[in-house]
Amino acid sequence: MDSDSKPEGEQILEVGEFYQLLTAQLEAAYGRRFPRWIRGEVAKVYEKTHLYVDLVDAGSSANDSKRPVLNAHCWATQWNALKRRLASEGITLKPGAVVNVFGYVDLYAPQGRIGFTVTDIDVSGLLGDVARRRAELIARLQAEGLLEANKRRPLSPVPLRVGLVASPQTEGYNDFTGQLLHSGYGFEILLVTTTVQGDGAPAQIVSAIEALDAAGVDVICVVRGGGSKGDLACFDDERVARSIAAAQTPVFTGIGHTGDESVADLVAHTRAITPTKLGEELAGMVAQWRERNVRVPAQRLMNATEALLDEATEYVGERRRTMIFAVRDRLRSEQRHLVSVRERLAIQGRFVLESSARMLASSRQLLAAYDPHRRLTQGWSIVTTGDGTVVRSISDVQPGDLVHVRVSDGSFKSSVTEKNGVPS
Amino acid sequence: MSTVGEWSEAAGELNAIVASFDEGEVSVDDLFAKLERATTIIETLEARLDATKAKVEELAPRLARVVEE
Repeated sequence: MDSDSKPEGEQILEVGEFYQLLTAQLEAAYGRRFPRWIRGEVAKVYEKTHLYVDLVDAGSSANDSKRPVLNAHCWATQWNALKRRLASEGITLKPGAVVNVFGYVDLYAPQGRIGFTVTDIDVSGLLGDVARRRAELIARLQAEGLLEANKRRPLSPVPLRVGLVASPQTEGYNDFTGQLLHSGYGFEILLVTTTVQGDGAPAQIVSAIEALDAAGVDVICVVRGGGSKGDLACFDDERVARSIAAAQTPVFTGIGHTGDESVADLVAHTRAITPTKLGEELAGMVAQWRERNVRVPAQRLMNATEALLDEATEYVGERRRTMIFAVRDRLRSEQRHLVSVRERLAIQGRFVLESSARMLASSRQLLAAYDPHRRLTQGWSIVTTGDGTVVRSISDVQPGDLVHVRVSDGSFKSSVTEKNGVPS
Repeated sequence: MSTVGEWSEAAGELNAIVASFDEGEVSVDDLFAKLERATTIIETLEARLDATKAKVEELAPRLARVVEE
Protein backbone atom coordinates (compact mmCIF):
# COMPACT_ATOMS: atom_id res chain seq x y z
CA MET A 1 0.00 0.00 0.00
CA ASP A 2 1.14 3.46 -0.78
CA SER A 3 1.46 5.28 2.48
CA ASP A 4 1.33 8.60 0.74
CA SER A 5 -2.19 8.09 -0.53
CA LYS A 6 -5.27 8.03 1.67
CA PRO A 7 -7.20 4.74 1.50
CA GLU A 8 -10.81 4.93 0.61
CA GLY A 9 -13.10 5.33 3.60
CA GLU A 10 -10.31 5.46 6.18
CA GLN A 11 -10.66 8.21 8.82
CA ILE A 12 -7.96 10.75 9.02
CA LEU A 13 -7.02 11.45 12.71
CA GLU A 14 -5.90 14.65 14.24
CA VAL A 15 -2.64 14.46 16.23
CA GLY A 16 -4.47 14.70 19.49
CA GLU A 17 -6.90 12.01 18.38
CA PHE A 18 -4.01 9.83 17.38
CA TYR A 19 -2.39 10.25 20.80
CA GLN A 20 -5.66 9.42 22.45
CA LEU A 21 -5.87 6.26 20.37
CA LEU A 22 -2.27 5.42 21.06
CA THR A 23 -2.66 6.07 24.75
CA ALA A 24 -5.71 3.88 24.87
CA GLN A 25 -3.89 1.09 23.04
CA LEU A 26 -0.81 1.35 25.26
CA GLU A 27 -2.84 1.56 28.43
CA ALA A 28 -4.80 -1.46 27.35
CA ALA A 29 -1.59 -3.45 27.04
CA TYR A 30 0.96 -1.75 29.34
CA GLY A 31 -1.04 0.82 31.26
CA ARG A 32 -1.66 1.35 34.96
CA ARG A 33 -3.73 -1.83 35.16
CA PHE A 34 -1.01 -3.90 33.50
CA PRO A 35 2.26 -2.98 35.21
CA ARG A 36 5.41 -4.86 34.30
CA TRP A 37 8.91 -5.41 35.59
CA ILE A 38 11.61 -3.88 33.43
CA ARG A 39 15.32 -4.50 33.93
CA GLY A 40 17.72 -1.76 32.93
CA GLU A 41 20.99 -0.04 33.68
CA VAL A 42 20.83 3.49 34.98
CA ALA A 43 22.21 5.76 32.29
CA LYS A 44 21.17 9.06 33.79
CA VAL A 45 19.50 9.90 37.08
CA TYR A 46 18.08 13.18 38.23
CA GLU A 47 16.05 14.01 41.28
CA LYS A 48 13.98 17.12 41.77
CA THR A 49 11.08 16.26 44.04
CA HIS A 50 10.40 13.46 41.60
CA LEU A 51 12.94 10.98 40.33
CA TYR A 52 13.88 10.93 36.67
CA VAL A 53 16.00 8.09 35.44
CA ASP A 54 16.99 6.93 31.98
CA LEU A 55 17.34 3.18 31.69
CA VAL A 56 19.18 1.36 28.95
CA ASP A 57 20.01 -2.27 28.30
CA ALA A 58 22.57 -3.44 30.79
CA GLY A 59 26.03 -3.48 29.30
CA SER A 60 25.06 -1.53 26.21
CA SER A 61 27.45 1.08 24.93
CA ALA A 62 26.75 4.75 25.41
CA ASN A 63 28.28 5.26 21.99
CA ASP A 64 25.56 3.23 20.40
CA SER A 65 23.29 5.93 19.07
CA LYS A 66 20.53 3.43 18.45
CA ARG A 67 20.36 1.80 21.83
CA PRO A 68 16.88 2.02 23.31
CA VAL A 69 16.32 4.33 26.26
CA LEU A 70 13.43 4.13 28.69
CA ASN A 71 12.61 7.51 30.18
CA ALA A 72 11.36 6.44 33.57
CA HIS A 73 10.18 8.60 36.35
CA CYS A 74 8.89 8.10 39.83
CA TRP A 75 6.52 10.61 41.26
CA ALA A 76 7.30 12.03 44.64
CA THR A 77 4.39 10.25 46.30
CA GLN A 78 6.05 6.92 45.54
CA TRP A 79 9.62 8.10 45.38
CA ASN A 80 9.82 9.37 48.95
CA ALA A 81 8.96 5.97 50.34
CA LEU A 82 11.20 4.15 47.87
CA LYS A 83 14.03 6.51 48.57
CA ARG A 84 13.88 5.78 52.29
CA ARG A 85 13.89 2.08 51.61
CA LEU A 86 16.88 2.32 49.30
CA ALA A 87 18.72 4.49 51.81
CA SER A 88 18.06 2.01 54.59
CA GLU A 89 19.80 -0.62 52.49
CA GLY A 90 22.66 1.69 51.70
CA ILE A 91 21.74 1.95 48.06
CA THR A 92 22.05 5.04 45.96
CA LEU A 93 20.85 5.02 42.39
CA LYS A 94 23.89 5.88 40.35
CA PRO A 95 24.73 5.51 36.69
CA GLY A 96 25.85 1.97 36.03
CA ALA A 97 23.58 0.40 38.61
CA VAL A 98 21.33 -2.28 37.21
CA VAL A 99 17.82 -2.21 38.63
CA ASN A 100 14.49 -3.84 38.17
CA VAL A 101 11.71 -1.30 38.06
CA PHE A 102 8.01 -2.01 38.27
CA GLY A 103 5.55 0.28 36.65
CA TYR A 104 3.54 1.09 33.61
CA VAL A 105 3.81 2.92 30.35
CA ASP A 106 2.47 6.37 29.88
CA LEU A 107 2.46 8.63 26.94
CA TYR A 108 3.19 12.32 27.28
CA ALA A 109 1.65 13.86 24.26
CA PRO A 110 2.96 17.41 24.65
CA GLN A 111 6.48 16.14 24.13
CA GLY A 112 5.55 13.13 22.13
CA ARG A 113 7.34 10.90 24.56
CA ILE A 114 6.61 7.46 25.86
CA GLY A 115 7.55 7.29 29.45
CA PHE A 116 7.50 4.74 32.25
CA THR A 117 6.03 5.47 35.61
CA VAL A 118 7.90 3.58 38.34
CA THR A 119 5.90 2.37 41.31
CA ASP A 120 8.46 0.00 42.80
CA ILE A 121 12.12 -0.83 42.58
CA ASP A 122 13.57 -4.25 43.28
CA VAL A 123 16.80 -3.68 45.21
CA SER A 124 17.83 -7.31 45.57
CA GLY A 125 20.06 -7.01 42.57
CA LEU A 126 21.55 -3.83 43.91
CA LEU A 127 22.09 -5.42 47.29
CA GLY A 128 24.05 -8.16 45.66
CA ASP A 129 26.10 -5.55 43.92
CA VAL A 130 26.80 -3.74 47.20
CA ALA A 131 27.79 -6.98 48.86
CA ARG A 132 30.04 -7.89 45.95
CA ARG A 133 31.81 -4.53 46.05
CA ARG A 134 32.20 -4.81 49.81
CA ALA A 135 33.66 -8.31 49.51
CA GLU A 136 36.04 -7.11 46.81
CA LEU A 137 37.17 -4.24 49.02
CA ILE A 138 37.79 -6.57 51.95
CA ALA A 139 39.74 -8.92 49.70
CA ARG A 140 41.90 -6.04 48.45
CA LEU A 141 42.56 -4.82 51.97
CA GLN A 142 43.44 -8.33 53.05
CA ALA A 143 45.77 -8.85 50.12
CA GLU A 144 47.58 -5.64 51.02
CA GLY A 145 47.82 -6.67 54.66
CA LEU A 146 45.70 -3.71 55.70
CA LEU A 147 43.18 -5.66 57.76
CA GLU A 148 45.91 -6.32 60.32
CA ALA A 149 47.93 -3.12 59.95
CA ASN A 150 46.23 -1.09 62.63
CA LYS A 151 45.94 -4.09 64.92
CA ARG A 152 49.74 -4.14 65.11
CA ARG A 153 49.89 -0.60 66.50
CA PRO A 154 51.05 -0.62 70.12
CA LEU A 155 48.25 0.28 72.47
CA SER A 156 48.81 2.37 75.57
CA PRO A 157 47.90 0.38 78.67
CA VAL A 158 46.14 3.48 79.96
CA PRO A 159 44.36 5.04 76.96
CA LEU A 160 43.18 8.20 78.67
CA ARG A 161 43.79 10.61 75.77
CA VAL A 162 40.95 9.71 73.45
CA GLY A 163 40.63 11.12 69.97
CA LEU A 164 36.97 10.98 69.03
CA VAL A 165 35.52 10.95 65.52
CA ALA A 166 31.82 11.51 65.94
CA SER A 167 28.90 13.80 65.50
CA PRO A 168 28.16 15.60 68.79
CA GLN A 169 24.76 15.38 70.40
CA THR A 170 23.97 12.17 68.59
CA GLU A 171 22.92 9.13 70.53
CA GLY A 172 26.14 7.29 69.75
CA TYR A 173 28.25 10.25 70.86
CA ASN A 174 26.31 10.60 74.10
CA ASP A 175 26.42 6.87 74.81
CA PHE A 176 30.16 6.73 74.30
CA THR A 177 31.16 9.89 76.14
CA GLY A 178 28.70 9.06 78.93
CA GLN A 179 30.59 5.83 79.63
CA LEU A 180 33.90 7.66 79.82
CA LEU A 181 32.62 10.49 81.98
CA HIS A 182 30.82 8.19 84.39
CA SER A 183 33.81 5.89 84.72
CA GLY A 184 35.41 8.33 87.14
CA TYR A 185 38.72 8.19 85.31
CA GLY A 186 40.39 11.24 83.87
CA PHE A 187 39.67 10.67 80.22
CA GLU A 188 40.64 13.56 77.99
CA ILE A 189 38.50 13.62 74.89
CA LEU A 190 39.74 15.37 71.78
CA LEU A 191 36.75 15.58 69.47
CA VAL A 192 36.88 16.10 65.75
CA THR A 193 33.34 16.64 64.59
CA THR A 194 32.24 14.88 61.43
CA THR A 195 29.03 13.90 59.81
CA VAL A 196 28.60 10.18 60.17
CA GLN A 197 26.33 9.44 57.26
CA GLY A 198 25.88 10.58 53.74
CA ASP A 199 28.12 11.15 50.77
CA GLY A 200 30.30 13.71 52.51
CA ALA A 201 30.98 11.59 55.57
CA PRO A 202 33.91 9.44 54.33
CA ALA A 203 36.09 12.41 53.46
CA GLN A 204 35.37 14.06 56.81
CA ILE A 205 36.04 10.86 58.72
CA VAL A 206 39.34 10.36 56.90
CA SER A 207 40.36 13.93 57.64
CA ALA A 208 39.42 13.52 61.31
CA ILE A 209 41.41 10.29 61.67
CA GLU A 210 44.46 11.89 60.09
CA ALA A 211 44.20 14.95 62.34
CA LEU A 212 43.86 12.88 65.49
CA ASP A 213 46.66 10.58 64.41
CA ALA A 214 48.92 13.61 64.21
CA ALA A 215 47.67 14.94 67.56
CA GLY A 216 49.34 12.15 69.53
CA VAL A 217 46.28 10.75 71.27
CA ASP A 218 46.42 7.30 72.88
CA VAL A 219 43.56 5.92 70.85
CA ILE A 220 41.22 7.11 68.11
CA CYS A 221 37.60 6.14 68.52
CA VAL A 222 35.22 6.21 65.60
CA VAL A 223 31.73 6.31 66.99
CA ARG A 224 28.32 6.18 65.41
CA GLY A 225 25.02 5.00 66.81
CA GLY A 226 22.67 2.61 65.14
CA GLY A 227 21.11 3.27 61.78
CA SER A 228 20.13 1.73 58.52
CA LYS A 229 22.66 0.09 56.26
CA GLY A 230 22.52 3.20 54.17
CA ASP A 231 23.25 5.36 57.20
CA LEU A 232 26.27 3.23 58.02
CA ALA A 233 27.48 2.91 54.43
CA CYS A 234 30.20 5.51 54.95
CA PHE A 235 31.98 3.07 57.25
CA ASP A 236 32.26 0.62 54.36
CA ASP A 237 34.03 3.27 52.34
CA GLU A 238 37.46 2.32 51.07
CA ARG A 239 38.96 5.71 51.94
CA VAL A 240 37.89 5.30 55.56
CA ALA A 241 39.27 1.78 55.71
CA ARG A 242 42.61 2.84 54.27
CA SER A 243 42.93 5.81 56.61
CA ILE A 244 42.35 3.53 59.60
CA ALA A 245 44.94 1.07 58.32
CA ALA A 246 47.45 3.85 57.77
CA ALA A 247 46.97 5.46 61.17
CA GLN A 248 49.88 5.03 63.57
CA THR A 249 47.46 5.33 66.46
CA PRO A 250 45.22 2.37 67.37
CA VAL A 251 41.75 3.00 66.01
CA PHE A 252 38.76 1.63 67.92
CA THR A 253 35.30 1.50 66.41
CA GLY A 254 31.89 1.51 68.01
CA ILE A 255 29.55 1.70 65.07
CA GLY A 256 25.89 0.84 64.87
CA HIS A 257 24.08 -1.90 66.70
CA THR A 258 24.93 -5.45 67.55
CA GLY A 259 25.26 -7.36 64.30
CA ASP A 260 26.42 -4.42 62.21
CA GLU A 261 29.94 -5.04 60.98
CA SER A 262 31.45 -2.45 58.73
CA VAL A 263 34.69 -2.61 56.81
CA ALA A 264 35.98 -0.02 59.26
CA ASP A 265 35.30 -2.52 62.05
CA LEU A 266 37.36 -5.15 60.21
CA VAL A 267 40.31 -2.82 59.70
CA ALA A 268 40.21 -1.31 63.19
CA HIS A 269 42.54 -2.26 66.01
CA THR A 270 39.62 -3.10 68.24
CA ARG A 271 35.95 -3.24 67.46
CA ALA A 272 33.11 -2.83 69.94
CA ILE A 273 29.61 -3.71 68.93
CA THR A 274 28.13 -0.38 70.03
CA PRO A 275 29.37 3.05 71.17
CA THR A 276 28.32 2.17 74.71
CA LYS A 277 30.36 -1.03 74.62
CA LEU A 278 33.32 0.87 73.26
CA GLY A 279 33.15 3.31 76.16
CA GLU A 280 32.88 0.39 78.56
CA GLU A 281 35.87 -1.29 76.96
CA LEU A 282 38.09 1.79 77.31
CA ALA A 283 36.98 2.34 80.89
CA GLY A 284 37.59 -1.37 81.54
CA MET A 285 41.13 -1.12 80.18
CA VAL A 286 41.90 1.77 82.48
CA ALA A 287 40.25 -0.07 85.36
CA GLN A 288 42.38 -3.15 84.72
CA TRP A 289 45.52 -1.06 84.54
CA ARG A 290 44.56 0.70 87.75
CA GLU A 291 43.84 -2.63 89.43
CA ARG A 292 47.25 -3.99 88.46
CA ASN A 293 49.30 -0.86 88.95
CA VAL A 294 47.50 1.13 91.62
CA ARG A 295 44.98 -0.76 93.72
CA VAL A 296 46.88 -4.02 94.21
CA PRO A 297 50.19 -2.26 94.97
CA ALA A 298 48.35 0.07 97.35
CA GLN A 299 46.83 -2.93 99.09
CA ARG A 300 50.23 -4.59 99.30
CA LEU A 301 51.72 -1.37 100.62
CA MET A 302 49.06 -1.17 103.31
CA ASN A 303 49.59 -4.80 104.30
CA ALA A 304 53.37 -4.45 104.29
CA THR A 305 53.22 -1.25 106.33
CA GLU A 306 50.95 -2.87 108.86
CA ALA A 307 53.17 -5.94 109.06
CA LEU A 308 56.31 -3.82 109.39
CA LEU A 309 54.83 -1.71 112.16
CA ASP A 310 53.53 -4.82 113.93
CA GLU A 311 56.97 -6.41 113.65
CA ALA A 312 58.72 -3.28 114.91
CA THR A 313 56.26 -2.94 117.78
CA GLU A 314 56.73 -6.58 118.70
CA TYR A 315 60.49 -6.18 118.45
CA VAL A 316 60.69 -3.16 120.73
CA GLY A 317 58.31 -4.76 123.23
CA GLU A 318 60.26 -7.99 123.23
CA ARG A 319 63.56 -6.15 123.69
CA ARG A 320 62.05 -4.19 126.56
CA ARG A 321 60.87 -7.38 128.28
CA THR A 322 64.17 -9.08 127.58
CA MET A 323 66.14 -6.20 129.10
CA ILE A 324 63.97 -6.22 132.23
CA PHE A 325 64.43 -9.95 132.68
CA ALA A 326 68.13 -9.83 131.81
CA VAL A 327 68.84 -7.11 134.36
CA ARG A 328 66.72 -8.82 136.98
CA ASP A 329 68.47 -12.13 136.35
CA ARG A 330 71.83 -10.44 136.41
CA LEU A 331 71.11 -8.72 139.73
CA ARG A 332 69.71 -11.89 141.22
CA SER A 333 72.82 -13.73 140.09
CA GLU A 334 75.03 -11.16 141.76
CA GLN A 335 72.90 -11.27 144.85
CA ARG A 336 73.17 -15.04 144.98
CA HIS A 337 76.90 -14.74 144.50
CA LEU A 338 77.23 -12.28 147.37
CA VAL A 339 75.12 -14.47 149.64
CA SER A 340 77.26 -17.44 148.71
CA VAL A 341 80.44 -15.52 149.40
CA ARG A 342 79.06 -14.27 152.65
CA GLU A 343 78.14 -17.79 153.70
CA ARG A 344 81.53 -19.05 152.68
CA LEU A 345 83.19 -16.23 154.60
CA ALA A 346 81.15 -17.01 157.70
CA ILE A 347 82.06 -20.69 157.57
CA GLN A 348 85.67 -19.84 156.89
CA GLY A 349 85.68 -17.27 159.73
CA ARG A 350 84.37 -19.75 162.20
CA PHE A 351 86.99 -22.21 161.14
CA VAL A 352 89.74 -19.64 161.48
CA LEU A 353 88.51 -18.56 164.87
CA GLU A 354 88.25 -22.12 166.10
CA SER A 355 91.61 -22.96 164.66
CA SER A 356 93.14 -19.88 166.20
CA ALA A 357 91.55 -20.69 169.51
CA ARG A 358 92.95 -24.17 169.34
CA MET A 359 96.37 -22.85 168.44
CA LEU A 360 96.17 -20.28 171.22
CA ALA A 361 95.27 -22.93 173.76
CA SER A 362 98.14 -25.06 172.63
CA SER A 363 100.49 -22.12 172.84
CA ARG A 364 99.12 -21.28 176.18
CA GLN A 365 99.82 -24.84 177.36
CA LEU A 366 103.28 -24.69 175.86
CA LEU A 367 103.87 -21.36 177.47
CA ALA A 368 102.76 -22.69 180.79
CA ALA A 369 105.16 -25.54 180.43
CA TYR A 370 107.95 -23.05 180.06
CA ASP A 371 106.87 -20.70 182.88
CA PRO A 372 110.14 -19.75 184.88
CA HIS A 373 108.22 -19.41 188.07
CA ARG A 374 107.08 -23.00 187.75
CA ARG A 375 110.70 -24.04 187.17
CA LEU A 376 111.89 -22.03 190.20
CA THR A 377 109.36 -23.81 192.37
CA GLN A 378 110.75 -27.10 191.09
CA GLY A 379 114.17 -26.08 192.51
CA TRP A 380 115.62 -24.38 189.53
CA SER A 381 117.24 -20.92 189.92
CA ILE A 382 118.26 -18.14 187.55
CA VAL A 383 121.79 -16.74 187.96
CA THR A 384 122.60 -13.37 186.49
CA THR A 385 125.74 -11.29 186.48
CA GLY A 386 125.98 -7.87 187.94
CA ASP A 387 124.72 -6.31 184.74
CA GLY A 388 121.70 -8.65 184.57
CA THR A 389 123.06 -11.07 181.99
CA VAL A 390 121.80 -14.63 182.52
CA VAL A 391 124.70 -16.93 183.32
CA ARG A 392 124.45 -19.83 180.91
CA SER A 393 128.06 -21.06 181.00
CA ILE A 394 130.98 -21.21 183.46
CA SER A 395 132.72 -19.01 181.00
CA ASP A 396 130.27 -16.21 181.78
CA VAL A 397 131.78 -15.81 185.27
CA GLN A 398 135.13 -15.73 186.90
CA PRO A 399 136.10 -16.76 190.39
CA GLY A 400 135.49 -13.83 192.62
CA ASP A 401 132.55 -12.48 190.59
CA LEU A 402 129.52 -11.51 192.53
CA VAL A 403 126.37 -13.04 191.02
CA HIS A 404 122.63 -12.61 191.65
CA VAL A 405 120.65 -15.85 192.29
CA ARG A 406 116.81 -15.84 191.90
CA VAL A 407 114.72 -18.68 193.46
CA SER A 408 110.97 -19.28 193.72
CA ASP A 409 110.37 -17.14 196.73
CA GLY A 410 113.14 -14.57 196.39
CA SER A 411 116.80 -13.96 195.56
CA PHE A 412 120.22 -13.67 197.11
CA LYS A 413 123.73 -12.70 196.14
CA SER A 414 126.55 -15.17 195.84
CA SER A 415 130.29 -15.13 195.13
CA VAL A 416 131.99 -17.41 192.59
CA THR A 417 134.79 -19.27 194.26
CA GLU A 418 135.53 -22.01 191.82
CA LYS A 419 134.57 -23.12 188.25
CA ASN A 420 134.26 -26.76 187.35
CA GLY A 421 133.25 -27.85 183.89
CA VAL A 422 130.91 -30.78 183.24
CA PRO A 423 132.67 -33.67 181.52
CA SER A 424 131.25 -34.16 178.00
CA MET B 1 75.43 9.43 126.33
CA SER B 2 75.75 9.23 122.59
CA THR B 3 72.66 9.79 120.37
CA VAL B 4 70.64 6.87 119.11
CA GLY B 5 71.39 5.98 115.51
CA GLU B 6 69.07 4.95 112.67
CA TRP B 7 66.63 2.12 113.40
CA SER B 8 68.77 -0.72 112.18
CA GLU B 9 71.89 0.70 113.84
CA ALA B 10 70.01 1.25 117.10
CA ALA B 11 68.48 -2.22 116.91
CA GLY B 12 71.98 -3.66 116.40
CA GLU B 13 73.29 -1.84 119.43
CA LEU B 14 70.29 -2.95 121.49
CA ASN B 15 70.71 -6.55 120.37
CA ALA B 16 74.38 -6.40 121.35
CA ILE B 17 73.47 -5.18 124.85
CA VAL B 18 70.88 -7.94 125.24
CA ALA B 19 73.40 -10.51 123.96
CA SER B 20 76.00 -9.31 126.49
CA PHE B 21 73.44 -9.93 129.23
CA ASP B 22 72.57 -13.35 127.80
CA GLU B 23 76.22 -14.30 127.74
CA GLY B 24 76.86 -13.03 131.25
CA GLU B 25 79.40 -10.48 130.14
CA VAL B 26 77.92 -7.58 132.05
CA SER B 27 79.59 -6.70 135.31
CA VAL B 28 77.59 -5.10 138.07
CA ASP B 29 79.59 -1.93 137.58
CA ASP B 30 78.52 -1.81 133.91
CA LEU B 31 74.99 -3.01 134.47
CA PHE B 32 73.38 0.33 135.17
CA ALA B 33 75.12 2.05 132.28
CA LYS B 34 74.08 -0.69 129.88
CA LEU B 35 70.52 -0.75 131.21
CA GLU B 36 70.29 3.00 130.92
CA ARG B 37 71.58 2.89 127.34
CA ALA B 38 69.20 0.07 126.43
CA THR B 39 66.31 2.00 127.96
CA THR B 40 67.26 5.11 126.01
CA ILE B 41 67.39 3.12 122.79
CA ILE B 42 64.06 1.39 123.46
CA GLU B 43 62.33 4.65 124.34
CA THR B 44 63.75 6.31 121.25
CA LEU B 45 62.64 3.43 119.03
CA GLU B 46 59.19 3.47 120.60
CA ALA B 47 58.91 7.21 120.08
CA ARG B 48 59.93 6.86 116.46
CA LEU B 49 57.54 3.98 116.05
CA ASP B 50 54.67 5.99 117.55
CA ALA B 51 55.49 8.93 115.29
CA THR B 52 55.60 6.66 112.26
CA LYS B 53 52.31 5.03 113.27
CA ALA B 54 50.71 8.45 113.58
CA LYS B 55 51.89 9.41 110.11
CA VAL B 56 50.70 6.09 108.73
CA GLU B 57 47.32 6.64 110.37
CA GLU B 58 47.10 9.94 108.53
CA LEU B 59 47.92 8.32 105.21
CA ALA B 60 45.96 5.11 105.70
CA PRO B 61 42.55 6.56 104.78
CA ARG B 62 43.98 7.94 101.55
CA LEU B 63 45.46 4.57 100.64
CA ALA B 64 42.23 2.87 101.70
CA ARG B 65 40.27 5.06 99.32
CA VAL B 66 42.59 3.99 96.50
CA VAL B 67 42.04 0.35 97.43
CA GLU B 68 38.29 0.63 97.87
CA GLU B 69 37.49 2.72 94.79
